[in-house]
Formats: sequence, C-alpha cells, structure tokens
Amino acid sequence: MKVFIYPTNSLILSDLVERFGHEPLALMQEIGKKVRAQGLDSPPLNITPEDPKIGLKYAAVEVPSGVRGRMSLFGPLIQSAEAAIIIRDPVIPFGCMGCARTNELVNFLIRAKKIPLLELDYPSTEDEAKEFVYKISEFLKSLTEKKNEQH
Amino acid sequence: MSNTENPVRIAQLSCGAEYSGIQKEIDSAVEQVNAVMVYPEIDILDIEAIEEDFGLKVASPDLKLMMARAKAIVTGKVHVDAVFVATCFRCAEAALVRSEVRRYIHEKTGIPVISYSFTERTTAGTLLTRMEALTTTARRKSLLAREKQSGLTAGIDSGSTTTKAVIMRDNEIIGKGWVPTVKVLDSAEEAYNDALKEAGIKREEVQALGTTGYGRFLVGEHFKADLIQEEITVNSKGAVYLADMQKGVATVLDIGGMDNKAISVLDGIPGMFTMGGICAGASGRFLEMTAKRLGVSITELGALAIKGRAQNIKMNSYCIVFGIQSLVNSLAAGGNPEDVAAAACHSVAEQLFEQQLQEVDVKEPVIMVGGTSLIEGLPRAVEELLKVKVIVPDNAQYIGAVGAALLVSGFISR
Amino acid sequence: MDTITKMIVINSTKVLPSDIVIKLYESNADVMIKETCFGAMVSGERSVVNSLLNDIRKIDPYGIFIKERGLAPGEPYRCRATRRGGARPGFHNLETEDRMLPHIASALRALDRGEVPGHKQRIKKLDVEKLKEIIESEVSQ
Repeated sequence: MKVFIYPTNSLILSDLVERFGHEPLALMQEIGKKVRAQGLDSPPLNITPEDPKIGLKYAAVEVPSGVRGRMSLFGPLIQSAEAAIIIRDPVIPFGCMGCARTNELVNFLIRAKKIPLLELDYPSTEDEAKEFVYKISEFLKSLTEKKNEQH
Repeated sequence: MSNTENPVRIAQLSCGAEYSGIQKEIDSAVEQVNAVMVYPEIDILDIEAIEEDFGLKVASPDLKLMMARAKAIVTGKVHVDAVFVATCFRCAEAALVRSEVRRYIHEKTGIPVISYSFTERTTAGTLLTRMEALTTTARRKSLLAREKQSGLTAGIDSGSTTTKAVIMRDNEIIGKGWVPTVKVLDSAEEAYNDALKEAGIKREEVQALGTTGYGRFLVGEHFKADLIQEEITVNSKGAVYLADMQKGVATVLDIGGMDNKAISVLDGIPGMFTMGGICAGASGRFLEMTAKRLGVSITELGALAIKGRAQNIKMNSYCIVFGIQSLVNSLAAGGNPEDVAAAACHSVAEQLFEQQLQEVDVKEPVIMVGGTSLIEGLPRAVEELLKVKVIVPDNAQYIGAVGAALLVSGFISR
Repeated sequence: MDTITKMIVINSTKVLPSDIVIKLYESNADVMIKETCFGAMVSGERSVVNSLLNDIRKIDPYGIFIKERGLAPGEPYRCRATRRGGARPGFHNLETEDRMLPHIASALRALDRGEVPGHKQRIKKLDVEKLKEIIESEVSQ
C-alpha cells in the first residue's frame, strides 16, 4: 500500500514503511521528479512561480506563497495516499517541512481523507522507541492483511 | 557597479523563497550588483537552543533556522558584509521573526540588513533596488555614517514629476531649484542653475556633486557626478538629517508624483521598505487633479483641506478616475471645496496605508518628505489614520537633493 | 528510465561507509555511488537501486537505514562546497534523526525477538479542581 508519512522527509518513517513491505510516499520523490523532469531552470528545487498557483487548489491566494508552493509538492502525495502515519510532535524538521502552516494543512487533509491512519508521538527514550516501532509494525501488518482481504 | 571590487558577501536568511519559486530571482538580482549569497553555517544544537536564546518561540522550524543563522552572524561564526532577510508576504509569524532578526543583527553588529516579504510574483527587477541599496550600504558604510555636510557640494534629484537641486555649504542649504521635469537633462540644468544662482556661486566652485531619482544615471553622467545613488538610501539619509533625528528608528514616508515609498530606517540606514507605482490614486497626481477640479493651485490645496472634514464627502473609490468622479459629484451636490480637499487627502493616505504599509512597521518618529508633504492636509490625514504624530521637516520637498549633497560631501578629498 | 537516488545512513558498530561502498562496487550494478559522512548515496534505475539496497540492508539490518533523496549526489545548488557555507536544510533533519537511530535499532531487535512493549499512557494535564486543591493545601500550610 502507498503510505503517506509525516514528516514527509523522515528517514526513520520512510525506512520502516519500506522495511515492512509498503511504499512510503515521501516528498523526496516529488522533489526528485521536479529536479529530473527538465533542465534545472529554477534552482535549487526547480519550483517555479507557477507552483504556488498550482497550490491554489489547497489554499486561497491570501495564504503565503511558500505554503502554496509546498502544497503543490504535497498535493499529489496526499491524493495517492492509501494509508498514513503521522508523528504528532516531530523533532524540528526543516526545508520542505519547515513551515508550520503548511504542516497543519497537510495533517488536516490527511485526516479528512478517512484512510487508515496511525498517529503517534515522537520517541525520546529507548522504551518509547520500542513502542513506536511496535505500533508502526502492527499498523503496517494490518494494512497488509487488509490488502490481502481485498484481493 | 564596478566589477573590480570584491563581491559583497550577503547572508540570506529566508523562509519560503525556494518554495515560492523565487530563489532564482534572488540569485539573479544579487549577481547584478556584484554580490554573492552565503548561508551561515550552524549546527543542530544552535537551532535547538535558539528559541531560549532569542526569546521568541515560533512554530515554523525554518524560522528557527533563520534565528540560528542570525546568531551565527552576530557571534562572528561567519563573516558577511550584509544580510538579506526575506519571508513570505502575509505570514504573520514570519513578519515578527523578520523584524526582530533585522533589529538584532543591526543592534549587535551594525551590519546592514534589508528585509523583504515576497510572493511568487516577486522578480529580480523588484529585488534589484533592494540589493543595490544593501550593497551600497555595505560598500559605503563610512559615507553613510556622515551626519554633517561639509565643504561646498550640490545634489540633484531627478524625479518623475519634478527636478530638485540644492547647493550646500558647511551644513547649510544656500541655494535651491525646483522645476517640473520636462526633458530630464534640460530640467536638471534649469534646477541646478536656479540653485547656483540663489547661492551666488559658479559651477566650477562646487567641490562634489551627487545625483539621485529616476534620472540619476543620465543626469549623473551629464554632470560627471561623484555619486550616483538610488533614492531609498539617499532619502533615508536626507529625511533623518533634515528632521535632525539621525539616531535610532524612524519611518520615512515619501508620496511622490508618480509613486510612493515607505522606508523603515535605523540610524539613517534603510532596512525594510516598499515602493509602489502601480496606482495613481496613491500618488501626488491624485491631489494635483483634485486641485485642478477645485480651481486652486496645488500649493493651496493643503490649507484648504485642513479646514474641511473628509467624513462629509462620500467617496466610492480611491481610483484616480472613479475617485475624482466621486469628488466632482460631491461638488455638484453642494459639497464644499474644503471637505473635498480633505477627502482627497484622506483617500491618498488610505491608499498609502493599504498598499505601502502592509510590510513596514510604523515606528515613530514618522517623517513625511517629498513635495506632497507640504500639502498640509496629507500629513494630517496620515496622522489620523496611523494614530501617530507626523513630522514634516523644513525643505522636505528637497529631500533627495539634500541627501545627495550631504552624502557626496564625503567624496571631497581633504 | 526512472532514475532515483537513495541515501544509506549507517549507525552501526559493525559496518563503515567504506565497507558499504566496497560492497556496492562489487555488485557491478549500473549505478552511481558516492561515499558520504553518514553512509553512501546510490543513483540509478529504480528497480536496480531497490534490489541492490535490499541486499545491502541485510549486511546489518539494525544499523543500516535507507531513504530516497530528491536531488542527485553532489548537486551544486545544494552541496556545501559550492553553496558557500551552511548545510542544506535536509542535513539538519538527518542529524536529528540520526541521534534516534540507536533506539530504533534496539526497538527493531526487540521486535524480532517477539517482545511486546508495555503501552504507556499519555500524561494528561492536571485537572483544574485537583490543582485548586493542591494550591489551597499549599497556601494553608
């Protein structure tokens, strides 16, 4: 299943989803597509002034251009998500995840989609990490079962 | 700008520029002024500690990154000549950080900072004036520290509507010229000659000459000027000099014939500013047309406005076409000219507020300059709207010329 | 061709980035390889990269973590060497996550041993009535 992860550039989440046999929907893929799609003409990420306009689908023009530009990246991921894992209080993420307003909107759109969703806290101790990994593995296993049932 | 100089190192502290698709525009503007962008090195511990250090807690991680980078500049971890602080337009959280970061760097280091809020429509052209002002401040720091004019110098401000010239000697204005701009060079000659005549001196006696305004390059080349400078830097300096408020914060408002500027100034150096030129309803032109309809000269309009009440006139639009129509209709319906004059001043003040002041903090003293500041009703309308006291210094209409004459006195070889 | 770049982040006592790079070269796969401070980056056709890294992960399943990367290795607009100064924002993400990797590794080991961790209750804010009681009892002392 295609699993949306938040933070969408997380190494740990991306790794765990793949490790347990699913496809992480990570932002790096969207960036990769942009960067590779054509000659790099709007460095560094090849986001052009057209992208915040694409973002108008998700937020009106009164919402800052940086939010809308980021939404043009997140949009396709949210659309194709079949399940999602959201970390409620991630450690400081930057760049694509650097804007709190965008992150709020992304989280909302995922929750509103009513797909299988796991929300959990970022671990800070070894014990919490055990619970964190356990919950994620159980969630991903349940997705596999669901998928098998569907077939 | 001469390319033989070392490039100016500008630190970019920004949030959202890449995602608004305008990083390329920033890079292009920077390249045109012979500067390079640098990104201050920080480590993760700096970012984690920054909110406590800085005392400002924000939700967006990239804003924390901005604060941490600002600290790296202040603590000398990275050496830069100037700082460009930019965030998305209409982001409240970012506006707070932008303003505090600018103040922090200025107060702790004196490194020039320009701040800007962008949208996806921001182009290299828009950024160029800002980068020009920023690199000038960095390259000519000692020049901008000048608080007194010395020797015998001249300044010419070649504006879109009028051309102004002044002659200054030992910190005094001794000659002035003010003519409507017809042909850029002819008008400059005329204004300069008027100023020289009033001062009673010959052109050869002038030790240094500076130009500013729209026609600065053409006029500067013609007169072999020692200094050709954009009007943001010159007007900031000129305003605090004329108002005798050279230290600390100030807000300079300049409603010109065709455009207007709002500049947030710190110790005479411009920080954040907006320039507008898309709406004639926010310019001196609107007042000029109102005066014409009222059958008074532009110099009489202000005194008339002071006697009137803007609230008595219903204006349906601030547009130079439809707004003027509203005023004409009011006159036809028996409205009195004083009220109409006051309403016109209010309309322009409101447009200044709507279009220019969205990104600039209004910190007192608020200094109004340029020809329109002499139309008394306008500073009054601005005072009422912004709830501040507005200062209009003597010779406010010569702001650019005075600023240029002051700055260029730094070029006189001792 | 669907080209991708993947990052290998190593947090292991058993393997070094150089070991991984040697393994990658030994595979003779048609990929571009770059050793980095945190591990390695591999660029190439999606299926080739994925199957290659599947094998790499097996070298130390608890010490090797993998994610995709948008930009190619050494991208001049992002590379510290050509960008005058500070790291790209993503590097700080990686730094913060890297500190958590030993815990994640130990959690993965526990999972493989079949351990079921105890469920921890989230701590809720103190009830306002309770707080009032505490204040009153503190003040009366």
